[in-house]
Amino acid sequence: MDAMLLTSQLINGLVLGFLFVLIAVGLSIIFGMLGIVNFAHGAFFALGAYVAWTLKPYVGGVGVLFLAPLVVFGIGLVAERLLLRPLYNKEPLLGLLLTFGLALFIEEAIRTIWGSIGHPYDAPAFLSGFIHYGPVFVTQYRLAVLTVTIVVLIAVWFFLEKTRFGRIIRAGSRDGEMVNMLGVNLSRVFMLVFGLGTALAGMAGVLAAPLWSVVPSISEQAIMPAFVVVTIGGLGSLRGAIVSGLLVGVSVAMTIQFWPAASGAVMYLLMVAVLLVRPRGLFGETWERFE
Amino acid sequence: MLAVQDFGGQIDGRPVKVIWYDENGPQTTQQNMQKLVEQDHVVGVTGGISSGDMLAVMPIAKRSQTPLIVTGANATQITGADCNRYTFRVDLPNYTTTRTVYPSLTKHGKNWYFISASYAWGIDGYKQMKGLLDAHGGKVLGADKTPLGTSDFSSYILKVVSKQPDVLFLGIGGSDLTNFLKQFHQMGLTGKIPVSALVANDTDFWAAGKEDATGVYPKIWNYTGDQNTAKSLAFAKAFQNKFGKPPESEAWQDYFGMSALLTAIKQTGSTDSNKLINFLENHKFEGYKKRPIYFRKWDHQLIQSTLVAKVRKSIPDRYNYFKIDSVQPAANKPLESIYPDQSESNCHMNAN
Repeated sequence: MDAMLLTSQLINGLVLGFLFVLIAVGLSIIFGMLGIVNFAHGAFFALGAYVAWTLKPYVGGVGVLFLAPLVVFGIGLVAERLLLRPLYNKEPLLGLLLTFGLALFIEEAIRTIWGSIGHPYDAPAFLSGFIHYGPVFVTQYRLAVLTVTIVVLIAVWFFLEKTRFGRIIRAGSRDGEMVNMLGVNLSRVFMLVFGLGTALAGMAGVLAAPLWSVVPSISEQAIMPAFVVVTIGGLGSLRGAIVSGLLVGVSVAMTIQFWPAASGAVMYLLMVAVLLVRPRGLFGETWERFE
Repeated sequence: MLAVQDFGGQIDGRPVKVIWYDENGPQTTQQNMQKLVEQDHVVGVTGGISSGDMLAVMPIAKRSQTPLIVTGANATQITGADCNRYTFRVDLPNYTTTRTVYPSLTKHGKNWYFISASYAWGIDGYKQMKGLLDAHGGKVLGADKTPLGTSDFSSYILKVVSKQPDVLFLGIGGSDLTNFLKQFHQMGLTGKIPVSALVANDTDFWAAGKEDATGVYPKIWNYTGDQNTAKSLAFAKAFQNKFGKPPESEAWQDYFGMSALLTAIKQTGSTDSNKLINFLENHKFEGYKKRPIYFRKWDHQLIQSTLVAKVRKSIPDRYNYFKIDSVQPAANKPLESIYPDQSESNCHMNAN
């Protein structure tokens, strides 16, 4: 076993990890701010990929990166307004059931609209090469995904931590009644947060489309890693999602190197191990609302 | 159903009614099979893609004495260890697909790398191909198992690249194969390392796209090529007219499964299952492929020629991906030469 190959796998795992982070970040935000476990996250991810496939001939591979998440954002707003809003002060289980139903509904809608067989989707031509330098063997497209993920993470962090709007969201998620009394229309804020979370899922879908097959089951391929990453990182923690996404990426790559048959199970084992030691996940916070 | 149309929708003045249920997971498939047998009182059942689902319903076929023609499942044991008198199988076992494509691959070299799905079908396929390779003095440079539903193959591809094999043989199918082809292409390897697999479902390649598709594969049927008979071309045309796209190979398998059942009912003039089975065991079906095809009596495997299909250099449209290199076995060899013989098989129908 040469060190060169191991280094390659390590780097590849980190790059893969960024894809996991991107898939998980929207789920993390929706949970962190609204307290809803969004089972339909994978379905919004799939919608992103499919909408991108439809729009790509008109606006190109880069254009869809902005347009498709926008469409998913719109769908997310509608879903929040019509379905989720009545459930905020009820049992958390109801939100879970509802989003689970929504996931099935969206997947079936995708089958009806786009058919059950897959659609070809290639990376934009200018990103079709790869970089091979020493142990580094990475495709340009994966580097682009990495770059977009970092930009998105910085933007989300800035939005939540440094803007007035972000402060309202954070305050509202902790003590909604108080924020309401201060004259803020909190239901509109929550609607936007849900839309933002789904848009991020959509964006992950767009970016994953050239890597994965665009088939209706793409939603299932996204939802499990998203949940695992968020659980390991600590529910609602942005920092946790980043650390655990990278951790999962590297673990998967290393398992493929040494024991490939277990590569599907390794992220779950990692999750079990982390939860045994830290039941709230790596960076999980204490939440008054759920205590 | 196009096969029913071929028969004018009726047999001896009695209308043919098709009752159609879904196949999703062994348990529901079992329930649906029960429904077909007990409530709908069907004469015979045909279809099925997943080996797990089919292995779950085969005992029901046997218990209720209902002929079951499995069209799309590949597990060896369907016509091997788990074979029974009421089950017939159209699709090819791994024994046959590996022997179909091996001669075309071995000319690239003897050092191979394998990536196989870690369940019965993939592992069995790996064993079959490794057996052939070993027998001819080849070498396995690496063999990785991958969980079903793997979305990212980049780490596997890095391992393959580090070994520089002459041939990369895949035991994966469905969207896993599509994912693999896309990522393999992005890493600049398309055309550099020859690729083949246990199976080539058209839809997996359509989903991968023209740029990413590559390799030589065993195939049961293809809608283009000289090997097609008039009947098989007519089917392709009727399918195109009805669905607006050409038929993938599974469509032909389902078409043949239904045709076989209807032929049996028509020729025997009966719906009695023993008569139907007797007919299916002894009839030679003409016109579906150039050489007559038949269900072998002792294991109920459909004995038919296979294709070596190569992904075209330039793909003319959204569907026409494959060029047929050859038909296997060669015309001077018996069809059964690419199927396991009785001594290699675990099917003992009388014992089951």
